[in-house]
Amino acid sequence: METIKSLKLNPPLIALLLAVALFFLGGLIQPGFLNINQAFNILRLAAFLGIIAAGQTLVILSGGEGIDLSIGAVVTLAAILTFRINDGQNTMVLPAMAVALLAGTFIGLLNGVGVAFLRVPPLVMTLGMAGVVQGLILAITQGEMIGDTAPVMGRFISSPLVFGIPGVIFIWFILAGLIWLLLERSAYGKQLYAIGVNRTTARLSGVRVPVMVIITYTLSGLLAAFGGFMLLGFTQTVFMNLGGPYLFPSVAAVVVGGTALSGGKGSYWGTMAGALVLTLITSLLTTMQLPQAFRQMTLGVILLVLISVYGRQRGLRQ
Amino acid sequence: MAENHVSLSAQHIVKRYGGVLALSDGSLEVQSGEVVALLGANGSGKSTLSKVITGVVAPNEGQLILDGQPVVFASPQGAKNRGIAVVYQELSLIPDMTVAENIWLSHQPLKWGIYVDKKAVQTGTQELIDLFAGTVQPSLQAGEPVSALPPDERQIVEILKALSLDPRLIILDEATASLDSRQVNRLFDLIENWKEQGKAIVFVSHRMDEIFRIADRAVVLRNGRTVGGAVISETDENELVNMMVGDAAAVPRRLAHQPVPAGAPIRLRLQDIHSDVLQGVSLEVHDGELLGIGGLQGQGQSNLLHAVFGDIPFTGDMTLSSAGTGGALRVHFSHPRQAMEHDIAFVPGDRGNEGLLLIRSILENIQLPSWKGYGFPLRMEAARADATQIADDLSLVRESLDAPVSSLSGGNAQKVVIGKWLLRRPKLLLLNDPTKGVDVHTKREFYNLLAELRQEGTAILFYSSDDEELLGLCDRVLVLLDGRISAELSGETLTHSQLVSASMSTGHLEAAAS
Amino acid sequence: MRERLQIKHVSLRYPFLLALVLLVVAMLLNLLLQPNLLELRVLNGNLRTFLPLIFVAVGQTIVILGSGIDLSIGAIVSLVTAVLVTRMSLDASAGQIVLVILLACGVGMAAGALNGFGVAWLRLPPIVTTYATAFIFSGLALWILPRPGGSMPETFARWYRQATPLGIPLGIWIAAALILAWYFLRGTRYGSNLFAVGGNAQAAYATAVPVTRVLFSTYVISGLMAALAALALTLGTSSGDPRIGEAMTLDSIVAVVLGGTRLSGGQGGIAGSILGVIILGLIRNIISFANVPSWYQTLVDALIIIIALAAPGFIQLLRRRRV
Repeated sequence: METIKSLKLNPPLIALLLAVALFFLGGLIQPGFLNINQAFNILRLAAFLGIIAAGQTLVILSGGEGIDLSIGAVVTLAAILTFRINDGQNTMVLPAMAVALLAGTFIGLLNGVGVAFLRVPPLVMTLGMAGVVQGLILAITQGEMIGDTAPVMGRFISSPLVFGIPGVIFIWFILAGLIWLLLERSAYGKQLYAIGVNRTTARLSGVRVPVMVIITYTLSGLLAAFGGFMLLGFTQTVFMNLGGPYLFPSVAAVVVGGTALSGGKGSYWGTMAGALVLTLITSLLTTMQLPQAFRQMTLGVILLVLISVYGRQRGLRQ
Repeated sequence: MAENHVSLSAQHIVKRYGGVLALSDGSLEVQSGEVVALLGANGSGKSTLSKVITGVVAPNEGQLILDGQPVVFASPQGAKNRGIAVVYQELSLIPDMTVAENIWLSHQPLKWGIYVDKKAVQTGTQELIDLFAGTVQPSLQAGEPVSALPPDERQIVEILKALSLDPRLIILDEATASLDSRQVNRLFDLIENWKEQGKAIVFVSHRMDEIFRIADRAVVLRNGRTVGGAVISETDENELVNMMVGDAAAVPRRLAHQPVPAGAPIRLRLQDIHSDVLQGVSLEVHDGELLGIGGLQGQGQSNLLHAVFGDIPFTGDMTLSSAGTGGALRVHFSHPRQAMEHDIAFVPGDRGNEGLLLIRSILENIQLPSWKGYGFPLRMEAARADATQIADDLSLVRESLDAPVSSLSGGNAQKVVIGKWLLRRPKLLLLNDPTKGVDVHTKREFYNLLAELRQEGTAILFYSSDDEELLGLCDRVLVLLDGRISAELSGETLTHSQLVSASMSTGHLEAAAS
Repeated sequence: MRERLQIKHVSLRYPFLLALVLLVVAMLLNLLLQPNLLELRVLNGNLRTFLPLIFVAVGQTIVILGSGIDLSIGAIVSLVTAVLVTRMSLDASAGQIVLVILLACGVGMAAGALNGFGVAWLRLPPIVTTYATAFIFSGLALWILPRPGGSMPETFARWYRQATPLGIPLGIWIAAALILAWYFLRGTRYGSNLFAVGGNAQAAYATAVPVTRVLFSTYVISGLMAALAALALTLGTSSGDPRIGEAMTLDSIVAVVLGGTRLSGGQGGIAGSILGVIILGLIRNIISFANVPSWYQTLVDALIIIIALAAPGFIQLLRRRRV
């Protein structure tokens, strides 16, 4: 009984177990699924989602109905900018990355300022900003995807690097370590949880709430751009809606991981496990050769079920 | 009057909120024509019991017997339908709706069964407002949005809301907290009328003087159980307090005064402070002094403390003495962080909403203002050690520092709020009605703590809505009225009657009469 | 202090005054670029384009007044569009047409009921819940109608496109009917309950307002409005696109903001939102007539949306600074 109780209180663990269960389920459905290469493949796919969902985690933790719906567009923008500036030259990788990260940071900053100073609800601000970024992409590219991916990106990101493990997985875990440091061992992290729980208390305890909000959304934009850069190393090509399919799963991954939608509670480990679960579900659905429409519905149903389990708010009557 | 006798009996009510047992055996009986006072310390369950009676909360065990028949309320509507109305202290008003809209919400008189009869609403509202005529400002109009009203008038709207139902049983849950003495007098006149009309009244309160004025009987709760009752005319305060507190120790009425040491430096000087509420306040607080701020609620006391702490904008001069050098420093804080950097601390009265992060750990709560001082990466061992030290100093009863603050009792939770500031060794401590709703035992510990802090030279600015507390603790009390200091009481002038009369100027009375 | 209260009163009672001003400005600008704007045929055409969004904005307003939000409203439009176009045969009789319309409304309301169930009964957070259901509904729409196509009965569509009873475009009649219905609703107990729930749900509950029922009903109404929007869309374009609703959700929120309704609930009305839709439509007209290069049109449109969304906050910021 005790174990079951402590399980319920530890969503990342549940998600991890669920991921393992799903992996074996995959083996049942498709023979040959259960091998080490497939496992690495899943991990690799999950890594991209995980990196993209890192910013979403921070934003949701910050409370105030925090959510970042511009992540998908930022991923696309970052990938396109990298693709163009890179133009296939290894030497241009770092400058391209710098520009992409800068762009993402700037967009995040605009989101943060809108939410913190103009008091625009995060949903509305980031949704609107997503439109602006998409418009920006159209205006910049004018429909033509010029450029090329540098070979070194593919080698270090998506091809097997050490022991057959693709580079992005190492990068993912390094990022996780950095985020853990940020959340659990820095004043920013402690203050982030504080503003997620109760902004009045936080302010009356000396926390500069608007600054925290701006930093958080900026980080979200930065991390999304980083995710877009990484993603390019995998897809090796760009198209108009590259990042779009990652937006919904980024929210779902955070929820699966047990981070409260109201803020103030949760962790990045949870999001990582959540990314694994969602990647496995998407893989399974693809393996079962279900049409796109059905996959979409399933994801929606899954999120709905998840919030029914994890996300119920306090009832009016107790 | 037609047969409208009402009787209610709550029997052995049990209520659990998750893991917390709020009521283990709550009982209460009341009938037509009487006022029953429901007493209990903070955490005794008296608010929970009234919520069970009014259908807001469902009991886990026990039953309610109304007019001789057992009843179960599925929602507040159920209780309302049976003629039970309640007046809360935490108001149930919709800020942007008008007085009239709030009073008649969900039970408006209807035309053709569906359309609100605006005329009936208007006349009905005016009749109700007239009940308090002469005790409220002319600003209390049917068409006024409730958000524009001061707290006392909002409380009155809350009362009128209950009355608009023409209830048979009225529960007043700490309903007099925001009212001034004239309004309380008028309310008590109305209660006498209600008794004659055959209504039953339950008066939940911790104000002894009011209970002894208006109640016929008293029922006492302690730690979630009804421990006894008494007929008011046959008992006295001490007996009731003993039942509430459980031991023979009486509430210390007057603590030993500590005069401010001669030549103590001025810690804080305010000159001509104006804010959205304050109209020119000037004062000085010395090191080691406990300066009280009093007056009716909503006159700017809380506003003043928030302004000093940098939480709200203001104009005027603020000067702090710089540490030890004897020099003075002109300051103007625009954020609490700045005040904190000048060794000022602020303890709010509403700890749940302003002082604590309920779902986070005790450690995180205690260190919230201070994390920046532990470097990057945070030196957790040092933070933990410091928090442990302060928790021990305050005799904080806890399982571990990592337990959520919500697992603590009210008194211990308040210690966390105080602890998080004491950790920083403030030189100026701002207390915003910190003992409101705190039980007697914790209050006593708190008073001792204040005495210790004064010995160490901390300057304290202390707002309390409890006159007795101010009189007992402070050598000097500034009374605020309409955003100004109406009187400075000390020594011989520091008496209850002086305090009360300074709280209400003749000007106030004239304005109400016109 | 009294004076500030008066202005606050006015803006509480008539939140759409600012929208009215913006409308006049937008109309004048539009007239400049398109002098035949007020010609009956052009007016009718414009209103026909606006009508679907008007329905959606009305539905969104009601949900927002109850302090919720419906991110799935566009998806419901897509879903009902798919249903309408696949169920409606080109030579349907009047009776069959009515049946299909009823079916469409039923589907919309059922979708809204799912939202309402989640938010009102299960107490799930509105944003993420309707975000999830949006995926479900749009997936369903794609499943029913994988590619744009289908058609509506010709006579019905023609009547819709050309109807100008008493010389006034049909769109104006419908908008007027909606506004009338709203003002009636506001004067009922339901209306005040709605504002109470949006203003302070806990207080409303303690005052015996049936909060759950009210919240549930707002989402069902929203679904119904989405269904009507789908009807207007398919009649207007005589075809069905399963992705048509995607942009409508954000547009409806912009219209609500422009119209002066408060996003946190408890204040506002549909009159402003309808004005907001027209303003948005006029602005889009202006963009296309102003010869903005096509690759930049999306960006300009999005920038205007962001400015509209940020404007109330910007005004508040200025007001706060002045204190």
